Amino acid sequence: MAAEVRVLGLFPDDGKAARAIRDLASAGFTFRRAHSPIPSARLREAVGGRKSPVGWFTLAGGLFGFGFGFALAIFTAVQWNLIVSGKPVVALIPFFVVGFECTILFSVIGNVVGLLVCTRLPDFRGLETYDPRCSADRFGVLASCPAGREGELLEFFRKKGAEVRLWP
Amino acid sequence: MSELTFARIDETVHATLTPPRRGYWGIVLLLFCGVLLGAGCWVYQIAVGIGVGGQNIPVAWGTYLINFVFWVGIAHSGTLISAILHLLRAGWRNPIARAAETMTVFAVCCAGLFPFIHLGRLWQVYYMLPYPNQRQLWPNFLSPLMFDVIAISTYLTVSALFWYTGLVPDLAAVRDRATGMRQKVYRVLSLGWSGAHDQWLHYSRGYLLFAALATPLVISVHSVVSWDFALGVVPGWHTTIFAPYFVAGAIHSGLAMVLTLMIPLRRIFRYEAIITVAVLENVAKTMVLTGLLVGLAYGTEYFIAWYSGNPVEWESFRWRATGEYAYGLYFMVVGNVLLPLLFLAPAVRRSLPALFSLSLVVNFGMWWERFVIIIGGVAHDFAPHAWGLYAPTIVEYGIMVGSFSLFFLLFVLFCKHLPSVSMTEMKETLAHGR
Amino acid sequence: MRKPVSPSGESRAVGRTPRILGGLCVAAGAAAFAASLAGDRPERAWQALLINFLLFSSIAQGGVLLAAVASTVRARWAVPVSGLAQAFAGFFPISFLCFFALALGGKSVFPWLGEDLHGKEVWLNLPFLLTRDGLGFLLLYGIGWAFLLQDLKLRMTTGEGGSALRRWVSRRLPRGPEDIERIGRRRRLCGGLYCAAYALVLSLIGFDLVMSLDPHWYSTLFGGYHFVKAFYLGLGGVIVLAVLIRERAKREVPLSCFHDLGKLFFAFCLLWADFFYVHLMVIWYGNIPEEAYYIIRRTLTPPWNAVAWTVFLSAFALPFLVLINRRVKSMPRFMLALCILVLAGLWLEHLLLVGPALHPEAVELPVGALDGLVFAGFLGLMVLAVSAMLRIFPELLPGIRPAGP
Repeated sequence: MAAEVRVLGLFPDDGKAARAIRDLASAGFTFRRAHSPIPSARLREAVGGRKSPVGWFTLAGGLFGFGFGFALAIFTAVQWNLIVSGKPVVALIPFFVVGFECTILFSVIGNVVGLLVCTRLPDFRGLETYDPRCSADRFGVLASCPAGREGELLEFFRKKGAEVRLWP
Repeated sequence: MSELTFARIDETVHATLTPPRRGYWGIVLLLFCGVLLGAGCWVYQIAVGIGVGGQNIPVAWGTYLINFVFWVGIAHSGTLISAILHLLRAGWRNPIARAAETMTVFAVCCAGLFPFIHLGRLWQVYYMLPYPNQRQLWPNFLSPLMFDVIAISTYLTVSALFWYTGLVPDLAAVRDRATGMRQKVYRVLSLGWSGAHDQWLHYSRGYLLFAALATPLVISVHSVVSWDFALGVVPGWHTTIFAPYFVAGAIHSGLAMVLTLMIPLRRIFRYEAIITVAVLENVAKTMVLTGLLVGLAYGTEYFIAWYSGNPVEWESFRWRATGEYAYGLYFMVVGNVLLPLLFLAPAVRRSLPALFSLSLVVNFGMWWERFVIIIGGVAHDFAPHAWGLYAPTIVEYGIMVGSFSLFFLLFVLFCKHLPSVSMTEMKETLAHGR
Repeated sequence: MRKPVSPSGESRAVGRTPRILGGLCVAAGAAAFAASLAGDRPERAWQALLINFLLFSSIAQGGVLLAAVASTVRARWAVPVSGLAQAFAGFFPISFLCFFALALGGKSVFPWLGEDLHGKEVWLNLPFLLTRDGLGFLLLYGIGWAFLLQDLKLRMTTGEGGSALRRWVSRRLPRGPEDIERIGRRRRLCGGLYCAAYALVLSLIGFDLVMSLDPHWYSTLFGGYHFVKAFYLGLGGVIVLAVLIRERAKREVPLSCFHDLGKLFFAFCLLWADFFYVHLMVIWYGNIPEEAYYIIRRTLTPPWNAVAWTVFLSAFALPFLVLINRRVKSMPRFMLALCILVLAGLWLEHLLLVGPALHPEAVELPVGALDGLVFAGFLGLMVLAVSAMLRIFPELLPGIRPAGP
């Protein structure tokens, strides 16, 4: 199998970058990744959006937290069955506070875990083919082609109005 | 904002991270001395005993609790700005969101110290953790103080995670411009963020969920704090309006602190093009709203105290306005409700000196509001023979100075080492405005 | 930019059907009310009047509040429905008259009349109550109408073919860009004042017309609870109206607007529940008999406990669980059903607040066909008022933006 060459095209705005992404496949190149300093709806459309599953992690965390909070409060209360100031041992009205706070806490933890899992961070390999300008004001499109066609790919990007970088 | 560009935003923010001058370290040193003073007072209190504070019978809760509530309140507007205004898509919050969130995290840290300080024997703090003691007794979650433990620790965790999540893309931007050792540090801190399209996809979703979760949390946290008082049957404390009233007051004081911090920050760091006067004006307008809400709560409390026909309740409120601490009541009414109404005049809310001084007034007034509530309630409750007064001691003042120093020290350290304006969100505002 | 709209050309937008149905409902409600007054249980008629007065006034006040808030914070998303929200101001005169009609109910509406109130007579006496609340309503409704008129001046381009009111407004249309700016400023001012008056007056109404039914019970949050609930109701009303206009009059309300309305509705569902819980928590924990009896009677003792659970499920639990989902908020028909459920739940909630105070000895629910008919009558009044507003001022329909920035 021939070695792959990766080329990064740096565009001044996301519209041009999105157009380049759309035309990459028909020109016979493989789209790898897009880098941008801000979340861009145009890039998302061009890449072909799928929905982020992060919310499921959050929901799972929240459901767990809701149960956990109530369970914690009830468990600690029944360890010592003593009526305090005329309140029932298992008093659901105030335990709701514990249930609620734990719901939020574990939802957020679920959210963070979801983010880390989905974005596969921390991971420093993505930085091997990356240009620092992508965090400033450039929208980068990373594409690859078999070794030998890199000239065409460079030309493709330049025509679309990009500066280019090449990783052999 | 027409002259702003992506590059200009980057330049402005990166310029704040250049190695600081000597004056900066002077301020850091000064604040550090303040922290040392506070720490020294605390160590002294631990060595001698909690009696070095002014707490007594009947006023068992003094400045430690006042400062606790004060700092939790300061924290709230950070979440309001970063989460609630994000959900409401109020674009003007973007330039100040980062600094306000940072303020939240540091204010919760300061607040979190006070229960420990107030505890006296702080090594017994584990009694409040859900962990059985040697007699297999667990803490009982029927107490509002236990709600506090769980609410404040949740709030600290969530606001810190929210803050860090928002920082990651900016840390990557700093990494991309830094060199040498700094670059290595930011490289690790930014977790290898590359702004790849799938990263952004998940990030946007996660950030929105963060905001959606932080919003009910912020309301619940100050409700829980208010219940430290409202759940007791003390006149002046036991009243249903406390939770929303405390939430409104918290946001009010927090917005004032945002102005107190932002006005010097924008001047020192030349953020004028980013943190425009219009942004500060919007903060001031929001303060008019929160001030009026707080005023409505003050008025309602007085009305119902009279309407109730409950002599104890009414005596407590009569004493508030005419008794030994009456000045506190007037500080809070004038400082929190009346003076912020000046912001209704466009000339006032566009003048930086006026904004800055009124923000200090509101901070002052909100501190006194907590004084009036916390001290006033127990100092003058049911039984006249048990009435008493309270004055903070020098040790308490020392600890208070320490807490303010700690807050400003952390903030000063932050704004020279991390981007104090979110470059990503500013660029988004710019791109969407285009 | 703005297409001239005249009432004659728009007669199809709001047809004859609502007028006929509304008129029938009003007739039925009025007949039932009169029959019951003449019968052996007039107090039930007054109870029905009080509950429906509170519910429908809240919908109207809360609906207009949406437009006022949107103008104050310059929320662009709400522009398509802000006209619809203001159409609820048409109910204000009816609400104002109904308030004074309540005074005729005497002890059936104000059970503290003739009781020894231990000094509270200063506040709780009929002349003072009618004066202050009447003035309050006058203030709120006056500002609401002023806000509406300023808004209409920016929406209307022609005054032909309409009623006297329409011609009156049309004589004051802006003549140039400075005029537009001046009216725009005045409109925002009225919007801001409406928000302030809303909080003050609705607090007062909550205390005077609901809380004081148990004259010895008091709660500081009751006023706040009342105005948050009224906004929740108002948002429900605006969503229902927007869906009906979309379905029946084929006027485009963008789905994104429904989504935003749905989010706000969700937020106020939570806030209403929060205010309820804040009440419950403080009173439950304090456990002071003179305070706790109010909640015990309404949530633990039959027949009211069943109502309490129904309210909890229909106005909070179900909408909460459904509205977590993002997509349902932009499904108009679904939101219509949900809002109707919530409005029904909050009708029961009013019964729950009012009923036990008016019928302390009740063993079964004091509800019957009469309540349904009076409810229908008020619904008819609301339909007539809103459709009349939309007929006279078709500019309030979605699709027309007020002039100015």
